[in-house]
Amino acid sequence: MDDLLAEFVAETREMLAAIEGELVAWEADPGDRARLDAIFRFVHTVKGNCGFFDFPRLEKLSHAAESALAEVRAGQRQPGTYLVNAVLAVIDRITELVQAIEAGKELPATSDERLIAALEPDGEDDCLEVDAPAGHGSDRRAASSPATSRSIRLPVELLDRLMSGISDMVLARNDLARRLRELGHEAGIESSFDRLSTIISDVRDGVSRIRMQRIDHLYSALPRLVRDLSAELGKQVMIDLRDGDVALDREMIELIRDPLTHIIRNAIDHGIERPGDRLAAGKPEVGQLSLSARQAGNRILLAVRDDGRGLDVDRISVKAVAQGIVTRAEIDALSLDRRLALIFEPGLSTAEQVSEISGRGVGMDVVRANLEKVGGLIRVESEPGEGTLFVLELPLTLSIVAALTVACGIHSFAIPQSYIEEIVRGNSPAIGLHELGDSRFVQFRDKRIPAISLDQVLGRGERLGSDCGSFRNKVFIIIRLAKGELFALVVDRVLDNEELVVKPLAPAVMAIGLYAGSTLLDDGNPILMLDIPNIAARHKLISSLATRRVPSSEKAGVTVDEGETVILFTDLAGQRRAMRIAAVNRIQSIDVDAIAYEGGQYRASVDSMILPIAGVDGPLPDTGRVTVLRLSDGAREILYAAQAVDDSATLGSALVPLPDSELLEGTALIEGVITAVVDAHVLFARLADGAPVSRSRTCRLPDGDAWARGFLAPLLSAAGYRVLADGEAEPVDVTIVCKVDADTVLPGTGAIVHIRADREPAHPGDTSIYRYDRAAILAALGRAAGG
Amino acid sequence: MGDLHLLVTIGGRRGAIPGAQVQSVVEIDQVAPVPQAPPHVAGLAALRSRALTVIDTRAAIGLDPAAFDTEGRAAVVDVDGHAYALLVDAVDDVADAQATATLSGATLGAEWDRVAQGYLETAAGPAVLVDIAQLVAGPALRFAAGS
Repeated sequence: MDDLLAEFVAETREMLAAIEGELVAWEADPGDRARLDAIFRFVHTVKGNCGFFDFPRLEKLSHAAESALAEVRAGQRQPGTYLVNAVLAVIDRITELVQAIEAGKELPATSDERLIAALEPDGEDDCLEVDAPAGHGSDRRAASSPATSRSIRLPVELLDRLMSGISDMVLARNDLARRLRELGHEAGIESSFDRLSTIISDVRDGVSRIRMQRIDHLYSALPRLVRDLSAELGKQVMIDLRDGDVALDREMIELIRDPLTHIIRNAIDHGIERPGDRLAAGKPEVGQLSLSARQAGNRILLAVRDDGRGLDVDRISVKAVAQGIVTRAEIDALSLDRRLALIFEPGLSTAEQVSEISGRGVGMDVVRANLEKVGGLIRVESEPGEGTLFVLELPLTLSIVAALTVACGIHSFAIPQSYIEEIVRGNSPAIGLHELGDSRFVQFRDKRIPAISLDQVLGRGERLGSDCGSFRNKVFIIIRLAKGELFALVVDRVLDNEELVVKPLAPAVMAIGLYAGSTLLDDGNPILMLDIPNIAARHKLISSLATRRVPSSEKAGVTVDEGETVILFTDLAGQRRAMRIAAVNRIQSIDVDAIAYEGGQYRASVDSMILPIAGVDGPLPDTGRVTVLRLSDGAREILYAAQAVDDSATLGSALVPLPDSELLEGTALIEGVITAVVDAHVLFARLADGAPVSRSRTCRLPDGDAWARGFLAPLLSAAGYRVLADGEAEPVDVTIVCKVDADTVLPGTGAIVHIRADREPAHPGDTSIYRYDRAAILAALGRAAGG
Repeated sequence: MGDLHLLVTIGGRRGAIPGAQVQSVVEIDQVAPVPQAPPHVAGLAALRSRALTVIDTRAAIGLDPAAFDTEGRAAVVDVDGHAYALLVDAVDDVADAQATATLSGATLGAEWDRVAQGYLETAAGPAVLVDIAQLVAGPALRFAAGS
């Protein structure tokens, strides 16, 4: 809070200094409307700011002066010398108090009553007693002690100029570096250039930090907002603001202020129940709204959580169907997440009655649009009766963008990394291209997503040919828009990953609607950044739910868990293998040189980490690159080497166990071919822990618990557990219990892990684990598995 | 006494750009084209560490740039905070001349009228004083302005 207070004091002092001249002029001519307005604005601002702090005296004084001046402005009162004197006396007192606050001293024990009374219209008689303002100007200046903290206030515009100067400097350095390279090596120049380079980087870091502001600044207005709203709606809400020291680009702070306010309004209006309802539901009377923030790489994650009634998925679905956003059939095919995400569709508001606060249906879609505009994302999780969680994911700064550069004919363009889901070569067997009417769709994994060639977007060349071959030498950039829809942009080549300083475009270029900015590459050539959302919208590549799942009609027959998806690949020995997709984080290609045999185990370095690598028992190629499946159990990662990733498929039949092979879970008939499924769990057990385990551990979830099925099961599967279906009679290794009072623990349930819904334990002896504490859940599973 | 003006040739005609608005005159060697851009936007060019939007002044007054040779020089100007390079046939001279506001009643042709903000006398003869904002806006604005 100290920061805020210092800012308040600084701002007040600044305004005082600014209106000093106005005061004198107003004294000379009380009828001067412009001066009056300036002084009114001052007291109004002071009053407003006092709301955040506990300064009742300042608030009373400024309020009294504001009311008096408001009457004058409304023409209800004539400004006379008495009023001018009274106002000036109040301002002098405000100055005095602010000085005391700044110095951290006790407020002077003078009474403000007389000053306030003098402002009253009927206080005219007393006004004669009011001290004439004693020479504002020299005295006030003299009295002001030098600022106690070493901070200055700067116009943001100046900072921006500095920042853009630094950006230019970075580009100039890159240009110089390129020229030096062309000239060849010259030791003397090189070392001093390196030094210059380092200094520029340091300065850039420093300036970027200047632009950063603690998220406290965003938080500052929220307690008041929450107080006012909850009072208005007859609710009791406590706001918990955490991680105020996380820093964010100050421009970004301004840009997310409105979206955040909207989410909070919604949470209080629709999420948090009335005190009576809360008590009836067994919740504390006071609703809890908590905000937390953290930095993850160059993104900031801002979470807004309430413990209200949660989103009503069914009602959202019904409404979405009624509004024609999706069809009934589509709804049924959607995952819980996607159904919840419908709240971000335009025109969907589930509020039964439109209230003053929110519920006009012009809300969350605008929130999402605003976040998308700055390269952010929003997602929602919700649990009926437990609350709702919104996570806003924001880029750290607006000006530097991580981008992929691609080539199309003679042109190169940049695509912001944040949009890119995956890059797939056209010659990959995993890719198929289909014509549907005049559109092209690419078949990728089990999805059919719209595809468009960049050539066509640019108005050059033919649309993508579906005939074999023409797209095989292209590259498909799978793009995920903030809403989650996918489309494929087909380019000729992928060039590089670069951090780009993006500059705004001239209006004539902006108006084309294809480009979002321009920048200079290290080689000094200008390059345009593609405006991905706009391109998608223009070419109608996305409806709200454009990504339809391909109906798996050809895979009729027995389905296991609605058909679990596996990745098909060829291992280094040339064998066809399958890996459950739950374990696969991503697919990468690494240099053979990055693989080494150390400490009795093959390891590979990838992204500056050293990870165990499996599947390298076969012959390693001498040179070149190897495809690796990057597997994760949620906490640790291991790699699995492959010659090529072929396709994805649905595990259509039950596995036939392979007792002889520990590393293979079993074989299955996948698309007519017998394929061995790699046991990811054993891999992790061996490579990550070193403890061999002979079969997949099983885990039982509470019957019919939607949260456990929807949220916990994927985590468990990823950790190598087989989640038993309701009523499936199997030996159980671990049982998850979600209710604290569960007394119906069956025999033969193995280890028991208790999960609780509340963040804090119910009582000191409570050994249950908070349901979103992923690390603790995984750790408990690990212990359970060991014991 | 007058102001400094940059004398240029645009589409074979003499033009003048107010000197105060010209930041520099540069050689444009490489222009990165911008697909789908209006015809008068020739593309982007790098100047030191800045990206300039290159405006072909000939196209900006509705002419076919291919019909005129250019020596590849451009005047760098700033319009609304964006840096532009105005590519002309040739940069001829810098003249100190007093501009005259308008030619009473006479037209210079629709496109020239739009970009002209007067004319000035030079040693080589009269030159049209161009409004850089109009050049940058390009011919499309004609419809908006004319209606």
